[in-house]
Amino acid sequence: MNALNRRTASRLVVGGLALTLLAACAGTGSVETDEAPAAGTTADTGEVESLTFWSNHPGESKEVEEEMIAAFEAEHGIEVNLVSAGANYEELAQRFNAALAGGDLPDVVVVSDVTWFNFALTDALAPMDELWETVGVDSDGYVDSLREDYAFDDGHYALPYARSTPLFYYNKDMWEAAGLPDRGPETWDEFAEWGADLQESAPDVAPLVAPDGSNYLDWLFQGMIWTFGGAYSDEWEPTFTSDESVEAGEFLQEQVESGNIAISNDSTNQFGAGQAAAVLASTGSLGGLTETAQFAFGTAFLPGPQPGVTTGGAGLGIPAGIDQARQEAAMELIAFLTDTENTVTFSQATGYMPVQKAALENEDTIAYLEENPNARTALEQLEVTASQDYARVFVPGGGARIGAALDRITTGGEDVETVFTELEEETRTVIERDIEPQL
Amino acid sequence: MTADARTDDHPVVALTPRPPGPRERPARPRGQRYRRREVLLALAFLLPNLVLLGVFTYRPLLDNFRLSFTSWNIASPTAEYIGVDNYVEWFTSSSSQTVMWNTVVFTGAAVIGSMVLGLALALLLDQKLVGRNAVRSLVFAPFVLAGAAVGVAFQFVFDPTFGLIQDVLGRLGIEAPAFYQNPRWALFMVTTTYVWKNLGYTFVIYLAALQGRRAELDEAAEIDAASTWTKFRRVTWPQLRPATFFLLITVLLNSFQVFDVIHTMTRGGPLGDGTTTMVYQIYEETFVNLRAGYGATVASIMFVALLLITLAQVFLMERGRQK
Repeated sequence: MNALNRRTASRLVVGGLALTLLAACAGTGSVETDEAPAAGTTADTGEVESLTFWSNHPGESKEVEEEMIAAFEAEHGIEVNLVSAGANYEELAQRFNAALAGGDLPDVVVVSDVTWFNFALTDALAPMDELWETVGVDSDGYVDSLREDYAFDDGHYALPYARSTPLFYYNKDMWEAAGLPDRGPETWDEFAEWGADLQESAPDVAPLVAPDGSNYLDWLFQGMIWTFGGAYSDEWEPTFTSDESVEAGEFLQEQVESGNIAISNDSTNQFGAGQAAAVLASTGSLGGLTETAQFAFGTAFLPGPQPGVTTGGAGLGIPAGIDQARQEAAMELIAFLTDTENTVTFSQATGYMPVQKAALENEDTIAYLEENPNARTALEQLEVTASQDYARVFVPGGGARIGAALDRITTGGEDVETVFTELEEETRTVIERDIEPQL
Repeated sequence: MTADARTDDHPVVALTPRPPGPRERPARPRGQRYRRREVLLALAFLLPNLVLLGVFTYRPLLDNFRLSFTSWNIASPTAEYIGVDNYVEWFTSSSSQTVMWNTVVFTGAAVIGSMVLGLALALLLDQKLVGRNAVRSLVFAPFVLAGAAVGVAFQFVFDPTFGLIQDVLGRLGIEAPAFYQNPRWALFMVTTTYVWKNLGYTFVIYLAALQGRRAELDEAAEIDAASTWTKFRRVTWPQLRPATFFLLITVLLNSFQVFDVIHTMTRGGPLGDGTTTMVYQIYEETFVNLRAGYGATVASIMFVALLLITLAQVFLMERGRQK
């Protein structure tokens, strides 16, 4: 009995130790061998049977994404697994980061204007140029400025998908009550005058509401700073302290202090509920506002004097860590989702800009624009769109850093020049520490 | 003569020693054989847990310490060793002071708030009241809800345009505080939300302790005509000390690590770090600023801080028990 106990115990110990060793030897990543086909790939031919598409459904687009995917499946015979991989671009990027370390990569992933660059810099995304040729994608068909937003180091790392620009939305009823013409202000000075009229006409309602620094004020203010002739940076050189940039910051601060601009954590809904006469928001909010707003509203360019049409939104990328066959199949899916017909469908469902040049002359688009003149503004902006400043989109944490600084000058009331000087120093430090060694 | 004897509690032992046979090992002292078997059995039962702890707790912990000495972009397959630079940066950064202050205020308020309110509710619902079981369930329910869901739901309470508080104060002619723009109010907002969510936990522990107390002491206090306050201070509270110590440790450790409520309500803002606690800083540095090495440094510092706090609490608890 004693011997049996000892034997049993010894076996248990040995078994446990073996298990420990096995567990300790297990890697944190997944390894695919030549013998076994990757998931969703047939063993005999290597043909891809299924693809995984990670999306955050920008612009509440899940339904239209499912429709487009069903059409792709019918046409190509490849099953597509649409995964809700985050509530916003940042969450989606975090999940992709985790997948890069732990395996289980998707085949197609939504990458935002802010997140794609780091993935390209660290070779996590596949360059697409060769894939375009292999699959037969006409890259020249895409709107040039939108396609070139994803260019880095002689390659392109995404194709435009849900692309947006900032719009000035205004409540026509409130505009009329304040005696204003049915258009957006042409300059910020004109807005300042109109703001006073709007406050007098409706004292309980903010003339213009903008999101706070945690909700993309940094993106919208980028357009505003351009209209003043300033910028966040000139390539890798921060320019927050240029006279024009500081002037833009001081103007924003003055308008907040005078009550012409309110900063909100929920600005689009505030405007949609009639609690603000105007809002600075993305073209991607157009679909939602059209559905929910109980009043007539118009859209306009951001006030000038110069254009401030910064691009934004997201593109579609392919992980570098999946095999060639899957990358080619993923490229086919991306080409399908962003072809002329589908970009028109997607644009009309969400408000995002069509990404194909041919979409602008498409019959459906023309008919749609006649019925929905608010959508025309975004298309008219296409000609003057410009890529974003490096300090926001390429510097890690750039958007959040600038957003926090803008919070300090708007709701915090701190001195603009002091805050922008600190911001410039922080940004330069990050560039020197995290970017320059990798370039 | 050689004979075996068996008792109920002890293994078989040789009463008279005999010379070992050619394949037999020399007889060992009784205690040694007993200990070896017990140790093997204990190891056998402990190993599965040790494996799990090793793989999922201690190995990542050691990995984290290793990474805290590197500069690592989380999307990159390689990390660069930079010595103690991350630690120097954290301890000399002005933002670390804000983060520490937020952590201390949030944790302190959450611990005190949830324990005081939990005790008050437990004392109230320990009375024979009509419908107390239903109320007990209602008080406990938020504890089992996901923190993210609670955070989203409380945005409708604190929203400056549509929120419940704004509505109630508006009817009274009072302007609602800028919960999302003023860092102090924002910290108050996330702390209140967390206390509401966590109240059920402290309540149920205190209620269980109250129901396990010695009834004869209460009766003796009543016979002596002790006031309610005296009865609580002299009779009830001393019996709640073990529960209080337990809650102090668990609530403090949990509050220190709150992420979900802060992420859903303020994302660490306003003004950049208005509600950024150490846990939230780990997230921001790792996933927003893409500095996973620096995030690991903050995590290591937090681990050591929590370890020291826990050791201090255990020491105090032991000393209290001895007294």
